[in-house]
Amino acid sequence: MLSLITWAPLAGALIVLMLPKEKERAIQAVSFAAAGVSLLASIALLAPFDGGSAAMQFVERCAWIPSLNIQYFLGVDGLSLPLVLLTTLMSFIALIGSLGIKTRLKEYFFWFLLLEVGMLGVFCALDLVLFYVFWELTLVPMYFLIGIWGGPRKEFAAIKFFLYTLSGSVFMLLAILALYFRAVPHTFDILELMRAQAGWDPRFQSLVFLGLYFGVAIKIPAFPFHTWLPLAHVEAPTPISVILAAVLLKMGVYGLLRLCYQIVPAGFRWFLPALVLIAVVNIVYGALCAMAQTDMKKMVAYSSVNHMGYCLLGIAGMSAAGFAGAVLQMINHGVITGALFLLVGVIYDRAHTRDLSAFGGLALKLPVYAGLMMLASFASLGLPGLSGFVGEFLCFLGAFPSWKWQTVISVLGVIATAAFFLRMIQKVFLGALNEKWAGLQDMTTRELVSVLPLAALMIWFGVYPKWPLDLMNATLARMLGQ
Amino acid sequence: MLNLSLLTPALALAGLALLILLADMLLPRGRERWLAHLAWISCAGVLCLLVRGLGDPAALGRGTLWTVDPFSQFFQTATVLAAMLCLLLSLDYRDLPRRQAGSFSALMLLSVSGLMLLTAAHDLLLIFISLELVSLSSFILAGFERSHPKSNEGAMKYFLFGAFASAVMVYGISLYYGAAGTTRLDAGAPPDPLLILSLLLILLGFGFKASLAPMHFWVPDAYEGAPTPVTAFLSIAPKIATFALLLRVYGAFFPAGRYGLQALLGLLAALTMTIGNFTAFFQNDVKRLLAYSSIAQAGYLMIGLAVGTPLGLQGAMFYSFVYAAMNVGCFAVVQAVGREGGYGLDAFNGLAKRSLGLSLAMAFCLLSLAGIPPLAGFIGKLYIFAAAVESGQYALAVIGVLNSVASVYYYFRIAQRMFLREAKGEPAALAVGPYVYGSLAAAVAGVLLLGVHPEPLIAGVRASARLLP
Repeated sequence: MLSLITWAPLAGALIVLMLPKEKERAIQAVSFAAAGVSLLASIALLAPFDGGSAAMQFVERCAWIPSLNIQYFLGVDGLSLPLVLLTTLMSFIALIGSLGIKTRLKEYFFWFLLLEVGMLGVFCALDLVLFYVFWELTLVPMYFLIGIWGGPRKEFAAIKFFLYTLSGSVFMLLAILALYFRAVPHTFDILELMRAQAGWDPRFQSLVFLGLYFGVAIKIPAFPFHTWLPLAHVEAPTPISVILAAVLLKMGVYGLLRLCYQIVPAGFRWFLPALVLIAVVNIVYGALCAMAQTDMKKMVAYSSVNHMGYCLLGIAGMSAAGFAGAVLQMINHGVITGALFLLVGVIYDRAHTRDLSAFGGLALKLPVYAGLMMLASFASLGLPGLSGFVGEFLCFLGAFPSWKWQTVISVLGVIATAAFFLRMIQKVFLGALNEKWAGLQDMTTRELVSVLPLAALMIWFGVYPKWPLDLMNATLARMLGQ
Repeated sequence: MLNLSLLTPALALAGLALLILLADMLLPRGRERWLAHLAWISCAGVLCLLVRGLGDPAALGRGTLWTVDPFSQFFQTATVLAAMLCLLLSLDYRDLPRRQAGSFSALMLLSVSGLMLLTAAHDLLLIFISLELVSLSSFILAGFERSHPKSNEGAMKYFLFGAFASAVMVYGISLYYGAAGTTRLDAGAPPDPLLILSLLLILLGFGFKASLAPMHFWVPDAYEGAPTPVTAFLSIAPKIATFALLLRVYGAFFPAGRYGLQALLGLLAALTMTIGNFTAFFQNDVKRLLAYSSIAQAGYLMIGLAVGTPLGLQGAMFYSFVYAAMNVGCFAVVQAVGREGGYGLDAFNGLAKRSLGLSLAMAFCLLSLAGIPPLAGFIGKLYIFAAAVESGQYALAVIGVLNSVASVYYYFRIAQRMFLREAKGEPAALAVGPYVYGSLAAAVAGVLLLGVHPEPLIAGVRASARLLP
């Protein structure tokens, strides 16, 4: 089943590659079918998934390169299943958003589906080499997706993204190799390594942690490795910004929890004080940067830095509430920021500017758009009743017992988050209508179809977060050794 | 024990080369392309002979100056395969004088047979003779486009450097004879200063062929000037065969650790990777860019040698094999594009619109050279870096991965032009010859298959990583 979810997009990509490039409808249809198969299959996993068990489920295992003891080993638990669901959902929604792409469709959908394979594989893989292969597989499609269909500085943004992320992941590769040779017998099996780590000395664990952390920190992005993000997010076409924010950043946090925390826990504990500081800087500095932006897309991009800080803070709390908050915050951030990028794309398509001060009073002309944008913004800044609040609250709750003053500063950071979103709402939607935009149209059906499911999720998880939390609780409890 | 029969494949190839030269004189004008086909078929035949002998005890053993073991068989097979792909490229190469198709292919075959002897040699005499056979035929091949000044310049530089390197090597050989009292490498001489000096001088000579820094200065000029199929050939076959020799001499006969050469080999590896990669940044000619890339690639191979463990040996063997596939792929595309647009990077502008298949093939080969999974180059690098980590040579591993990251930058300069830039004027379809397609398809299939399913090759490498003493 996991293989079906992971490889269906690849099958779609290969079919797209064989279609002649004039058949644009067929290309789109095949892409939707492939992503749809993944989405449906991942939803179908929910029924047989046992939320009360912390074990890996739907395990598929066979030898891939027996000489080096590398396996094809897939499985999901309460940590990865929500992320798989998030990936399939956001990919599908980004595909709806991709209907606006008009040039070089064949290549676009080919790279897009390949990207989806990589993302899904990362969350399913339980063998380090397989994990690394998928991890890197996301880079190349992303390079082309930003580089071909991006904004004015696309070439620079694309190569910067590629080189930046790659330089992190190669150190991850070295750490993986070090783990392989330390384990007896030599293995890349993540579960085996989790069991084997008890006997390793702390120095080795710290070194390996640093290697792994370097790879994931760039993806998260954790301060000071966040500088690739604003550029890549801003230059990428709308659907790709959605994917970048909603899924790619989650790969980093997932790697932190799955690899850094579970394989080298001693190294993780050693790094913890620094991690908390990084989390605080991410929250406060990210929010302040967002406040300084005049470009809406850039503002949302920096808000991602801010929100990933909450995740890090929750993780650093090392408590059930903190972990649950971090994972929930990953899901929420994916949904909310995905929606925000889609909405920013909507206005950019019409006005061809994203400058905050260029607008004003749009709520009069575009009531539906304004409503959705406000909903997403409020969810993002953590208004109680919407999903963002639950995740952030749990993160703070989980971190407070261990890190008092750090949490206090972070809570103050929330004010900055609220400030920049409210300022955006005020400048764009309230006040006198800028006559220049009197002719703007409200959202089309296609745009509504892509945003409404996300809006529904924001309200659902805000009112009733028990369902996503039930999925992950058993796994998180076991990760904490309870 | 003479055991000349062990060398049957190499000698058969040399014989066929002479036959083709002879036939070139007798054949009526206009039929020269027959000979090029004949050369390819000869290679294929020799390949069959080699493959049949793989692991066959009757085909293994020691002669007076040579040792045929699974290790040499592996490299002979790889060399012949690479040569076959390059010969295919030459069949579609327009700028080659048609009248000389016979002598061209005969020289290729002679060079290959020299390389095959090289991989099996365990005596400095045979090593020198086969190296000269390779060098002399390569000098001529590099300068084959006589009307082309760059070709002449490159060949001349190649020749002068080569002559110099040979002289240094011969000096080393004479010192070796003084120290060990024989030219046999398996004499087991103790590590006294004279012997180590001789080994160093011999290493210089080998380093020239394998394009190790700082003996790499001839590479960009010779590669730029040579006809593209010859460039492809020079960047692969002599390099991997020389690495076989390096692995045999500095891995098996004179283990670097025992003779105090390990630090030097590590330094050479680091230097070769770094110089190759960082100079490639500034190239605007694809052939020069790939020339520097091939220098850098030699550096990665060198890690396997510097590590000196069985895993390092296997890694270098695996990487040589996949390196051949990815480089042939790149040069096949370069030849197809360069046929109309020349070899400037600009010729690649907007290639994706002209031919998506060709661009994707090129992208795959470049990504594989950069070591991005799931392509063959990644598994090769994984193997080599694993060897470095296993033996505790972390510095070398770190330099290696950083170089891989840096190399992405210039490989992507090509990808960027193919996919991100627009061609000048209306994008016209690209005419690609059938032979180039064949060669490219084989190379890309290798790059993809060996990346996704490397097990057969790894098993083969493991079985072949056995050197007879």
